[in-house]
Amino acid sequence: MVDIQFIGLLNATLQAATLLFIAALGELITEKSGILNLGVEGMISIGAVSGFIAAINTGSLFFAIIIGVLSASVFASIHAFVTVVLKQDQTVSGLILTILGLSLSSLIGKKHVGKKLDVKLESVVNIAEPDSILDIFLSQNIIFYLGILLMVATAYVLKRTMFGRRLEAIGEDLKSSDSMGLKIAKTQFIATCVGGAFAGLSGVYLTLSYVPYWTDGMTAGRGWIALALVIFGGWKPYRTAFGALLFGFLEALGPRLQTYGFEMSPYIVKITPYIITILVLILLTIFKNGDTGAPRNIGIPFFRENR
Amino acid sequence: MNNYILSKKLFRNELSTFYSFLIGFIVALFVGSLILLIQDKNPIDVFSLMLKLSVGSINSLSNSLNKAIPLILAGLGISIINSVRLWNIGAEGQIFMGALALNFFYINSSIQNSTLYIFLLLTASFIGGSICILIPALTKVLFGVNEIITTLLTNYIVFGLTIYLINGVWKDPASLNFPAAAYVNESVYLPIIVGKLSSGFLICIIFTLLAFYIKDKSVFGYEMRIAGGSELTAIYAGISAKQKAFLAMLIGGGFAGLAGGIELLSQTHRVSTGISQGFGYTAIIVAAITGMRPLGIFLVGCLFGALTIGGSVIQTIGVSSYIAEIIQATTLFGALVAQFFFSYEIKKKVENG
Repeated sequence: MVDIQFIGLLNATLQAATLLFIAALGELITEKSGILNLGVEGMISIGAVSGFIAAINTGSLFFAIIIGVLSASVFASIHAFVTVVLKQDQTVSGLILTILGLSLSSLIGKKHVGKKLDVKLESVVNIAEPDSILDIFLSQNIIFYLGILLMVATAYVLKRTMFGRRLEAIGEDLKSSDSMGLKIAKTQFIATCVGGAFAGLSGVYLTLSYVPYWTDGMTAGRGWIALALVIFGGWKPYRTAFGALLFGFLEALGPRLQTYGFEMSPYIVKITPYIITILVLILLTIFKNGDTGAPRNIGIPFFRENR
Repeated sequence: MNNYILSKKLFRNELSTFYSFLIGFIVALFVGSLILLIQDKNPIDVFSLMLKLSVGSINSLSNSLNKAIPLILAGLGISIINSVRLWNIGAEGQIFMGALALNFFYINSSIQNSTLYIFLLLTASFIGGSICILIPALTKVLFGVNEIITTLLTNYIVFGLTIYLINGVWKDPASLNFPAAAYVNESVYLPIIVGKLSSGFLICIIFTLLAFYIKDKSVFGYEMRIAGGSELTAIYAGISAKQKAFLAMLIGGGFAGLAGGIELLSQTHRVSTGISQGFGYTAIIVAAITGMRPLGIFLVGCLFGALTIGGSVIQTIGVSSYIAEIIQATTLFGALVAQFFFSYEIKKKVENG
């Protein structure tokens, strides 16, 4: 028998971490190819609202997940088109993607604010009163397990497959990759859309499980934390997962602090992930001589001068 | 399929940024119309109502220009920092920090002469914006830490700090369930020029000219451009690239901080979460769309201010205010696409020999 408060804290940590991790993992893949996409917040929002509307209208959770993932991926292709095909500034394009995503999803979701879902993602194993750590893990829903699967798969694909090696090569050195005949535009386009799909899955998790309703601005800056997580994790899937657990823990801890007898403001706890990320970023830059693990070509558009 | 190649144009049309903006804006109006049509609204009716209620009378026009002030000031700050080829995504946080610094100074001081007091308060807000960007600036020039990420993260830290303060030590008991700091005294409100137009707009004009001078006419601006252009050239010219980058960031942050100060003294009159409604992010669109030109930022800032006001008033006829934001974002996307065709050309491949 474990302390009931601890059970609640662990459960909330895992849920918050899942949400952050899946979006961060998608951004990691995008950035590995050399494309920086600051539109994570907007993509999560699009995934969240479209998944929610699909669930309301069809009642099918499977269909809702598919719709949420697909629409966020299509939405990310705007960024891919502007930065990969048209070679425009990635910072600007990503930022507008966030602004457009947030306003567009508010517009689409306006009629559905406050509606209640009849269906909700259920836990894989139905446990009425979880009272051990194992129970907590078993009572998570399908997207939690999907997240673990994606983590292993991403690590494997990046390190052990030709596609992954090529992707990393492009992110590290555009010119060499080009002379080796790698298809830069195609790979970067795919990586950006995959990043969008992951953000969409994270969004679906938000509206179908985490807080099962839709309201404006409910992503609440999680997309930006996901971006920070990629840096925190040094562009490595497993370290990013560890970071997600840490950030998820802090998010879960905030509102619970007082029950543990601490007199710390929950508002201050809420900003600690951002402070930690800045510190980690600074420390990594100093002690690893600038090698934070970032792909070298991130943010640089590729243009082959052939007149 | 590979018979065509992409090549960079040697010369770009001087006015290409302006044309790109126009094309982008037309595309955005078109996209906006489509969205309205889907919602069974007549776009012409909606747009003409937006126009009427944002610039149709002295009062509505002054509302629009008031909304433009933070967009312009923050946009100018972003453009100054961009002179050294650095990004400032933290304008939103700097706006809040400006308001926080102003309020901090206000609480801890008392000056009878209200003109002097207002001047000092606004100076405090400028310094607040600079302080907000201090850590990103220091870590950038000392260690080369990516400023996009650090300025971005400071937004959330400062916003968290604001919420902490207005729920804690600064909370006005009279504000009941809406957390906010106490109102500032009426004597330090920024005076109204005409209609509802705040004198903050005059400050805004002065700072636009100032930014234009700093960027395009002063030695400092020239040095910033060299420092941002090439490190080697800067070394040959005896310019400390790091020093210029550091100063540019502090000045740029200060501009955004001032925006927060003006917003407090002319609109909200107290620290609350309403100090900025994403002005810092919209300012990035404004700055990027004009190719970082101060005079362009001023004009587009006014247009976007009017769009925001237009967007908020059409809610009364059941149209979502988000239409305005969608138009703003799509304008930049459209402009980026147009910019591509101004900078590149697609040529037919010439066979070797």
